[in-house]
Amino acid sequence: MASSTTSNVYIHVIEDVINKVRDEFINNGGPGESVLNELQGLWELKMMQAGAILGPIDRSATQKSGAGGPITPNPVHDLNVPYEGTEEYETPTADLLFPPTPLPGTAQTPLPGMAQTPLPGTAPTPLPGSDSSSLYNIPTGGTPITPNEYTSTNENGVPEQPPSAWINQRPPLDVNVAYVEGREEGDRGAPHQPTTQDFFISSGKRKRDDLPPQYRGGGYIPQQDGAGDNLSDEDNRSQDLKVVQGGNQQMFVQVGTMSSRIPQLDGPIPDPYDDVLSTPNIYNYQGVVNEDYNMNTPMPNEMHAATPAPVQNDTGDDDDDDEPLNEDDDDDLDDVDQGEDLNTTHLVLAQFDKVTRTKSRWKCTLKDGIMHINNKDILFNKKSISIVWLLGISQATGEFDF
Amino acid sequence: MATFELYRRSTIGMCLTETLDQMVSGGVLSPELAIQVLIQFDKSMTEALESEVKSKVSVKGHLHTYRFCDNVWTFILQNAQLKSEDGQETVDSVKIVACDSKLLTQ
Repeated sequence: MASSTTSNVYIHVIEDVINKVRDEFINNGGPGESVLNELQGLWELKMMQAGAILGPIDRSATQKSGAGGPITPNPVHDLNVPYEGTEEYETPTADLLFPPTPLPGTAQTPLPGMAQTPLPGTAPTPLPGSDSSSLYNIPTGGTPITPNEYTSTNENGVPEQPPSAWINQRPPLDVNVAYVEGREEGDRGAPHQPTTQDFFISSGKRKRDDLPPQYRGGGYIPQQDGAGDNLSDEDNRSQDLKVVQGGNQQMFVQVGTMSSRIPQLDGPIPDPYDDVLSTPNIYNYQGVVNEDYNMNTPMPNEMHAATPAPVQNDTGDDDDDDEPLNEDDDDDLDDVDQGEDLNTTHLVLAQFDKVTRTKSRWKCTLKDGIMHINNKDILFNKKSISIVWLLGISQATGEFDF
Repeated sequence: MATFELYRRSTIGMCLTETLDQMVSGGVLSPELAIQVLIQFDKSMTEALESEVKSKVSVKGHLHTYRFCDNVWTFILQNAQLKSEDGQETVDSVKIVACDSKLLTQ
């Protein structure tokens, strides 16, 4: 922030410069008065933004009218005002924007965005329409299919809430949805969990603490041993996703081997979790069938998160560690650069009359200077004296007189 | 008449430079004219400082670096105290650039 005196001085300088270059702008085929006004306007605007000039320029212009009389700053500000005006009118413009679009349209904008994301995922899977109704909290069965329809039907505030809830539920369920994709559940009247659980029943075989069931993440504990047994033994080995359909044959998606191979994916990671898994925390779909399942259940989401985590960490750490080390070394070596960098913060520009030194004590007589300290501009005139001490160094080179 | 381009590094000078660069880049202003504006700014700034209300400033600090090259003194002070009529300022580091005032008179 500049004081009033410095601000006035700056304004005076600007006025003086503009007035003296006006002839060059107008005569000799120069750009013209308008360009000159634009120059002045921009210059003053930047000064105000930098805090070097206080208050509106109009006052100073009127005070300093002088040659500037015929050219009122108003036109200059007019150039700027429209911009400012537009800023001020931002809200009304925004308002203007809204009215043209019908309310439903506005409502639609968020909805489609919201609905679309989950919908596409759900569209292929009949679940949402059918079983997952409870899970997804879909108000209407038909809603999930087409976002457009959904939005169209429920344009007003209604759609907002259900989709939000719906959407909220989706992310956690997405993982499960992957598993569910294969399924086409005709019979699913049952809640999502039990159905998924059925799928994982095959995996139920995995008794062991290994993560494979975790990895499935579905955390769904297979309730039915029969279906699971068949699949589990043989199919488990393949990490392919299996979709089980129907009551008897259950399509389930398994990632990783169920029992023995489980560690493949998250091997190390799951280990620590094993202990955690021991306690059925998150998903206690069933507390019954297998404790192991319970162990696995909490993992599903966590496991998925775990797999990427280590990988990312490993790659990222190396890069991060290497680069900063090198950078730091370079920074420390350059004192000059540091000195130069300091210039940008605090700077004094002046003329010197005399610079003297006595042993370690320097004396400099400066004049007509501008100091930029702590974002403040201080102007000083003649006969200002600055004294500088150099500590700890004595020189025998003599004085410098100029 | 030679001018000190020293003051172009000040806030007001940088604002003017930026504005001129902006206009020259936009093709509104010719580079030659921009240079003339800057020269005029140098003159006006020097005159304004001479005619400005006199104020004294005192600076004390630890001299970290001193340089004299091409008749230009450059000092870098650390832990400097700048006392002016408005008040006192303390900064960790300050750079002082000073040109020989006699060059103008000559």
